[in-house]
Amino acid sequence: MKAKMFLSVLLFLIMNALIVAQSDYETLQSFKSQYKQIEESIKSASSVDECTAISEKINNLRSDFVDNKTFLDKSLYPENFESAFTKIENALETKKTDLTQIGALTTQVGTLQTQVTELNQKNEELIKQINELMVKSEKDRATITQLNRLVSQLRGNINQRDLLVRDLVDSLLVEFIKTPQNLNQKEAQAIISKVNKGNLFYNIERTIADNIQFTKVTQMTPGDFSQMKKQHRDFDKVWNQIGPRLSSVYLSKKQKKSEIAQIDSLFVEWSSQINNEIWKSIHRQFLEKEINLIPFNNSDQFVSSVSAFIDNEIKNLDVKSREESENTFLAFIDSVYSKTVEKEWVPILFENNMMTQAEKDIIDAKIEVWKKEAGPSYSYWGYIIVGAIIIFVVAYMFQKKKKPAIKAD
Amino acid sequence: MKLIIFISALFIAVGCSTLMLQPADFSWPVETVLTVKDNGFVSEERHTFDLNVKPIFFEEFNDSNSVAGKEIRIIRDKAGHYYFTGAGFKNIYMFMPIEGGLVLEDKISISDSLALQKPAFNQKPAYVELIDGTNKYLVTGNEIVRAK
Repeated sequence: MKAKMFLSVLLFLIMNALIVAQSDYETLQSFKSQYKQIEESIKSASSVDECTAISEKINNLRSDFVDNKTFLDKSLYPENFESAFTKIENALETKKTDLTQIGALTTQVGTLQTQVTELNQKNEELIKQINELMVKSEKDRATITQLNRLVSQLRGNINQRDLLVRDLVDSLLVEFIKTPQNLNQKEAQAIISKVNKGNLFYNIERTIADNIQFTKVTQMTPGDFSQMKKQHRDFDKVWNQIGPRLSSVYLSKKQKKSEIAQIDSLFVEWSSQINNEIWKSIHRQFLEKEINLIPFNNSDQFVSSVSAFIDNEIKNLDVKSREESENTFLAFIDSVYSKTVEKEWVPILFENNMMTQAEKDIIDAKIEVWKKEAGPSYSYWGYIIVGAIIIFVVAYMFQKKKKPAIKAD
Repeated sequence: MKLIIFISALFIAVGCSTLMLQPADFSWPVETVLTVKDNGFVSEERHTFDLNVKPIFFEEFNDSNSVAGKEIRIIRDKAGHYYFTGAGFKNIYMFMPIEGGLVLEDKISISDSLALQKPAFNQKPAYVELIDGTNKYLVTGNEIVRAK
């Protein structure tokens, strides 16, 4: 019994000595090390449940070190005991909010993915039908109506699918924004799984390809082009934000890297296809009024083509009849340039930096010169004015004659 | 005449008195543990100073060539003394700051035969504590007392 008591006292003394002989430096290092571990686990947490476990760890750390609060207040420079805990608690709260948001987005992405797949199939079918109708030799009223209906349906579907794919890309962008620039393996894997789940590369490629195809199989209005240009701009902007980061995620995967490069070039192709179609549509406006401009594919060529046409018309004034020259002038100005090109197409060209005001001024100056040389003769106006005066005078005299004379009493 | 001498003496006394800023507390809340660099210097970041510690190692081990990578522990007490020691040391070195450096005030012997194994300084309100395993010493100025 005595021996037992002696041993207990000895053990107590040894333990006490060990507890007392604690280095403050080690206490500080131990706190810092556990604190850092919690910080790391907050960064890598991938579920709200993990956050709850981390919250428990924070509470344990606080209670383990609360006796050293005064010491830690002085030693955790520039933090103190409370501010250090406030810092990790805030970081944990932010992570919880992010994870909740990401969870909601993941559900949303699942739904979006199904919708996108359905729309892809529908669009494929529509493009096929439109192509068949386009090659049909006899385009009766019913065919044209059906064609227009299908084009309108396709336009709606493509817009809807673009928005859905944009949402998919946006959800990925949110994830990128919330993760550090240099992703660790776990973070990179989470991104990869999201990309695979959303079939992202295929859907982006498909979206661009369908848009390019749409410009080829349909005749688009200036409004359609304006809208598509905006879509391209917005989508390209988002892709430019995630593209380079996806490249770093897929650093070692050659095939994926080439898919990213392929998407980059598809964006360029899409832009140049829209531009080409805009210039073609403007050219078509002139052709429909039998004004044969040299085809153009950019603003420089457009100015040159119009200038060449006007120069040629001025040069041929003596060769062609006056009436013929005036008709060409009126067709060019009244029916095409002022009526549609200047009003509907030039604003789109300006808006998308496809033409400058200086270039338009060159065309306007050319038209002014042409107008002086070949515009409708002012003698016509002279006849009209004289005729109007004669009519007015005759009418006035006729009125005067009709008035009954008033006799004075 | 007496008045003139008195006033002159008063002026001289005022002119000669030293400007004092007191009380002051120079103590560090926790020791700093620094690794000696190739050039024999240690860099302290929180209190921002660089110091050549080779002379301490030479004094302790008669060798200042193999100091790179060794650890030295430093703490400052309330009065402004700097205490230096490390594993393998048998002494604590107490310094006071002077212009451009530190000057040794005292070399406090801990043991003639046994060297410190895992020393650590702790700041306590009235003294600096040195612990080494289960051994504990209290240092105040140049006095060292082995605590029970």
